[in-house]
Amino acid sequence: MQGGGRVRSRSLSVTMRRSAMTLQNNMAKNQRGEAAPSSRMTGRERQMGGFSLLLESSDDEGPEEVTFEDSKADARRSMKRALDTARREKELLKEKRRKRQELFQEQKKRKLLSAEVLEEIDSTKQEQSHVKAEEEAEPEEVEGRKRNWKQNAARNLKGNYTVTTVKQSTLASSQLKAAEDFLHSRMYGPGSRRTTSNEMLSLENKMGKNKSAAVQFVKKNWACQKKAKAEKLKKTWIHMQQIPSS
Amino acid sequence: NLNVPKARNRKIQMGEFKVHRIRFFDYMPSAIRAMAFSTRTERLALARADGALEIFNFSDNYFQEKVLPGHDGRAVEALCWVGPRLFSAGLNGEITEYDLENLRPRYTVDAYGGPIWTIGVNSQGTLLAVGCEDGTVKMFEVLKERIQFQRNLDRQRGRIISLSWHPSGTLIAAGMMDMIRIFDAETGRATHRLVVDRGAGASKSKEVVVWSIAFLSDYTIISSDSAGKVQIWDGLNGTLIRTHLITKWDVLALSVSQDESSLVAGTSEGTVVQFQFLSSTVDRLDKDWVRTRTFKNHSHDVRALAHTETAVVSGGMDTQLVVRPLLDKVEKNTRESAIRKVSFPHRSLVCCAKKAGVLLFQFPDHLELWRLGESDGYGKPGGSLPVKRGPEKLIQLKRKGEDHICCSALSPCGGWLAYSTVTSFRLYRLLNGSISICKVSKLPKDLRPAHQLCFSTDSSKLFASSSNSSVVVVALNEPECKYLGTLKAKYGCRQPVHLLSASENGKWLATANTDCEVHVYNLDKLKLHCTVPVYGSCPTAMAIHPTTSNLVVVHADQQIFEYSLVKKEYTEWSRRLQKQGLHSLWLERDTPITHVTFNPKNPAHIIVQDLFMFCIIDKSLPLPEAKNVLYNQMTLRSLPEPDRVLHSHGFKICKDFQHLLCVSLLEDHSLVVVERPLLDIVSQLPAPVRQKKFAT
Repeated sequence: MQGGGRVRSRSLSVTMRRSAMTLQNNMAKNQRGEAAPSSRMTGRERQMGGFSLLLESSDDEGPEEVTFEDSKADARRSMKRALDTARREKELLKEKRRKRQELFQEQKKRKLLSAEVLEEIDSTKQEQSHVKAEEEAEPEEVEGRKRNWKQNAARNLKGNYTVTTVKQSTLASSQLKAAEDFLHSRMYGPGSRRTTSNEMLSLENKMGKNKSAAVQFVKKNWACQKKAKAEKLKKTWIHMQQIPSS
Repeated sequence: NLNVPKARNRKIQMGEFKVHRIRFFDYMPSAIRAMAFSTRTERLALARADGALEIFNFSDNYFQEKVLPGHDGRAVEALCWVGPRLFSAGLNGEITEYDLENLRPRYTVDAYGGPIWTIGVNSQGTLLAVGCEDGTVKMFEVLKERIQFQRNLDRQRGRIISLSWHPSGTLIAAGMMDMIRIFDAETGRATHRLVVDRGAGASKSKEVVVWSIAFLSDYTIISSDSAGKVQIWDGLNGTLIRTHLITKWDVLALSVSQDESSLVAGTSEGTVVQFQFLSSTVDRLDKDWVRTRTFKNHSHDVRALAHTETAVVSGGMDTQLVVRPLLDKVEKNTRESAIRKVSFPHRSLVCCAKKAGVLLFQFPDHLELWRLGESDGYGKPGGSLPVKRGPEKLIQLKRKGEDHICCSALSPCGGWLAYSTVTSFRLYRLLNGSISICKVSKLPKDLRPAHQLCFSTDSSKLFASSSNSSVVVVALNEPECKYLGTLKAKYGCRQPVHLLSASENGKWLATANTDCEVHVYNLDKLKLHCTVPVYGSCPTAMAIHPTTSNLVVVHADQQIFEYSLVKKEYTEWSRRLQKQGLHSLWLERDTPITHVTFNPKNPAHIIVQDLFMFCIIDKSLPLPEAKNVLYNQMTLRSLPEPDRVLHSHGFKICKDFQHLLCVSLLEDHSLVVVERPLLDIVSQLPAPVRQKKFAT
């Protein structure tokens, strides 16, 4: 009767511990933001039921006595550990993000510096006429401009020069090119079902009143390069044919 | 290196002439991009892909009166006449007005809307509307000396490809991508949106482009699109009335006749389809747009159309201008009803240095200098002669700047070369047998850009035509050329000079302008000598006889006149010719004479040349009568010698060479014939559409 009671108490305590742990697991999961599926719990209970049965059958040693306090402290510790790891991970991410943001700020500051140079140049361009400054004001390299600015610091700031572009009205010419490309793609692009002049003329030769061969054979100077290439190939082929036989 | 093209220069024996047959002038015309017809002045303006503009006089045998050279990047998309003024709009975003008296742009106005696709003027001639890439229709006020931006209509999402004013001037229909928008011209609001169906099958995924649109006075809108449809819409309600599928490819152009009874649509196949507003019943109550005729006059896309009162004018990627008279408007089987094709310019692009045997070819962007080949020996008439030394290209001179070459000239000795654009003039000295070239930098200030250039026969002077039909005379000297004087025509001559001819003895200079005025100047005194009586048709070629000093002028209607400069009256032969009249076959020729020259060995000969023939007019022989056969050279050859004299007449025409760009006689009495076979041009055109034909 004692064993039975013992077993009962063991199994009870095991059950309690398991259920407490499950509860704590789920609490921790809740804290982490994970849903505590009730179905899992029931599954676990079922498992526990199964587990206790197993223990009953295979265990020969005496049961270990685990008090409720111990298990409670255990659970609390593991929970704390989990919370700690979560917190540490969050902090690590924060650090990473902060570092990246700083890097971006630095890069931006570097860029801003050259813009400042431009503003200063712009505001002081009325004061002096400077042929050298005009040549320098070519929008080629940012570095070059910075260097020159640093060299002729005082003079350029008060300089009277104009900033000119290399080629006039590039916007208009790029728009023109885009419009021409649109027109070309509509007329000759994919889906336009076009053929070649060669084919058109050859068809005319074939269907016309006085029938003749395709136009590349009728006109002597049509596709000269192709014909020359073909001749050359023919000669090399014949030459190659003759070598083994000779 | 196999890139060197084989220059074809065969020498053949023809009658008593050795002929240099030249086919290495790689002249390539530019595609026709837009056209506009002015009913008032009977002029057709034509814009080509390279930016060049041409004006044809439809009342003077379709003569190409004026040519404004092109410009890099001008990319004209549309033309518009506002009374006598000509405007163009292009993909460079600019509206240009042209000065047709000085053959140059008068000014340009940037529309600030990106590339401009279309331009249209209201029927009152007060407002100019342009359709831009950014989706705006911009309105410009037409003022006396300029245009001024007025306002934008409601901006749309998508480019405006085509537009048309309603004749009342209150509405504008604009063709865009996938739709047509109707605007109220006064408020600027877009009132209706007509959705255009896309094509079937593979084209369903591509947007349909409404290439052209027309707004009729009964508020019907006709549109043509890239899906091959011509659609008729009710412009008041914004509903579709009818769809006509006329082709599998794009319908690129539309033109409606003045009385709105007929319209034509041009397709990428090269066909022009006519629709007429007819009723199916006799009582003429229910009129409808019915497809009537189909014309297939082009091998490539038709991009520009004009519907005149009597004809349909079309042009496109095959570079030919075709005028098709409508047989319900003209009498059948007459000269008026014949189809006209303009494939080559009506002016000479080849200059021959007679003493040096050097040819100058003018291209829009460069000049080429070639030396003719040589051959010894004699052969049978019509046979080829062995070539001792082939022709060689001496110099290729590329123009400076973005303007295309307007005119060029080579001195007879081959030592001087000049060319002009609308903004600059350049003179070069050629040395060492025309091999080396150096620019003459010190030019007199008065030598401004010219419309026509001519060297004197002794290569000592250069004549350059200037504004108001005047001519600047410059003495050729190195290192600096001296300005000698300006020959001024009588007061009131505003039109540009398009023909210049200097006499061989250096005494006379004849000029002809597009107002049909021919002036002759005495070069010793540098004054006007006489003015030839004005004849109604424009002169197309002229030359002064070396010994008799008779001026021979040929006109666009094929008339020939001979005027004695010494006596200041028409010659006896000329009067006889006028009295008898030219042979009808001669008058029916549809290409103008572009060159007149003389035979040093026989002073009675006049050699004239047009695109399909050259003719040696023998003044000592009788003139052909109406009943004679005009083209009788072949038959004469078959006759025995004594009979030939009985049957021959003064017009000896040779049609062995085509298409002729220049026929000239060198000092050694050999004939230079420059041909440009049409096949060579067609073979270099862009891709035509693929038509599936049975059994191919």
